[in-house]
Amino acid sequence: MFKIPKEREVPFAGVTPAPVGEQPMMITGNWRTYRPVLDQEKCNLCMNCVIFCPDACWQLDEAEEEVVWNSKYCKGCLICVNECTTEALSKVYELDFEDGVVRLEKLF
Amino acid sequence: MAKEVTLSGCAASAQAVKMARVEVICSYPIRPYTAAMMELAKMVANGELDAEFIHGEGEHAQLSVCYGASAAGARTFTGSSGVGVTYAFETYSPISGARLPVQMMIADRTLDPPGDFGSEHTDAMSCRDQGWLMGWAETPQEAFDNHLINYRVGEDPRIMLPQFVCQDGYFVSHLPGKVKLPDQAQVDEFLPPYKPPHVLDPKRPVSHGPQIRPDQGVIMDLQRAQAFLDVPKVIREAIDDYNRIFGRKYSPFLEEYQTEDADVVFFMQGAHALTARHAIKHLRGKGLKVGLVKLRFVRPFPTEEVAEVLSRFKAVGVVETSTSYGGAMRGGNLLHEVRAALYDAPTRPLTTSFMAGMGGEVIPLQEFYWMADVLAKGVKGGKIGKYVYWVGFEEAA
Repeated sequence: MFKIPKEREVPFAGVTPAPVGEQPMMITGNWRTYRPVLDQEKCNLCMNCVIFCPDACWQLDEAEEEVVWNSKYCKGCLICVNECTTEALSKVYELDFEDGVVRLEKLF
Repeated sequence: MAKEVTLSGCAASAQAVKMARVEVICSYPIRPYTAAMMELAKMVANGELDAEFIHGEGEHAQLSVCYGASAAGARTFTGSSGVGVTYAFETYSPISGARLPVQMMIADRTLDPPGDFGSEHTDAMSCRDQGWLMGWAETPQEAFDNHLINYRVGEDPRIMLPQFVCQDGYFVSHLPGKVKLPDQAQVDEFLPPYKPPHVLDPKRPVSHGPQIRPDQGVIMDLQRAQAFLDVPKVIREAIDDYNRIFGRKYSPFLEEYQTEDADVVFFMQGAHALTARHAIKHLRGKGLKVGLVKLRFVRPFPTEEVAEVLSRFKAVGVVETSTSYGGAMRGGNLLHEVRAALYDAPTRPLTTSFMAGMGGEVIPLQEFYWMADVLAKGVKGGKIGKYVYWVGFEEAA
């Protein structure tokens, strides 16, 4: 028999409970080169970004009546920028941000 | 009632799949295995077998369908031959890594080029390191039995591994032989329904096959390695039960024929062992003490048994029927395993390998006589000159 340290145990066959909201063990938004930036003034809540985002990174906050961006899973494909009907979304180079993902010291 | 019928290997496999109450079958045609799917398609169409019969658009799709169906909780069956086996290569490790007991029949066919349709073991043997159980049948009867035994072992909660259940193309797949078909009640006693640990269930959603990190990958490799260390015990239990319920006399790993007083033996797997038995009868009539040791599982390889059994003889000739170009022994794959197993044995026989039956040629009796002669001369002279002999193409033994 082999000894696997407790902290290194992996579920049998890698089967895990399906994430209900986000999968915190697998942050995938760390290879962006651009990020979409929203100008709330111009947004008319048409929901195109929410519908078109392939990774569900735009969601409606009903209480605040605004769409909210999830930076953890956005790969910067910019489909949302392309689909935005009011030019409220624009692309900004990731390196222009203090917290830009290319500056992370650790990948995960 | 149990009854004896005459069936080809493919037809015997189809009967075993039916009696195993397989729930999902995925087919794609390639000869020679395809005859089994023809039988199964008929059974499903005639209402004899209640299974989903899915036409894959290729072998990769066949295995992928079975991957999903097995994860959903179904007992699954698929199969292929030759380049079909290698076309699906990518899927084999994910299925064993997911610990899904998919069963795949392989009726061997030589790999291209060019489009040879004969039977060599190279197609299946190329997949031997993918975490699947693997073994060969010598006859349609053994093919029938191996399907049931493999489902039982692969689905055991201690194991959970997929299985390649192999038979030589044509020599077994298409030559009819006597097959004792058991009662369904016997099969049901031996093979309980598949109980998957993670059924796909909307009330309890799970992720199968997630992306993992390198530090998690090693743990999953280790889990598979442990399962392979555990599997010989489970195979022994299954064979004991099989022999008891069906009245057979299988050894779990090595079958011996005329070995009691043998000086030299052939070591091999699959269909040509049948010819070897006839050759041995003839050679014994001429006074040569020759026998046969037949391998039933190449994965897991029965290291201890091979060391114990083969170290009783003076010389062992491994009849390969597959290649490993540029390998350590310059010939097939089995000699590597045999010599490695024998390394720690207190006494070691002379060993060599014979490339015979390559390209799917018949191995005629005369070739077995020639091989026995090489072994006998080796014993007399105290050594065998070469690692590998291409039988029929050597200038002198």
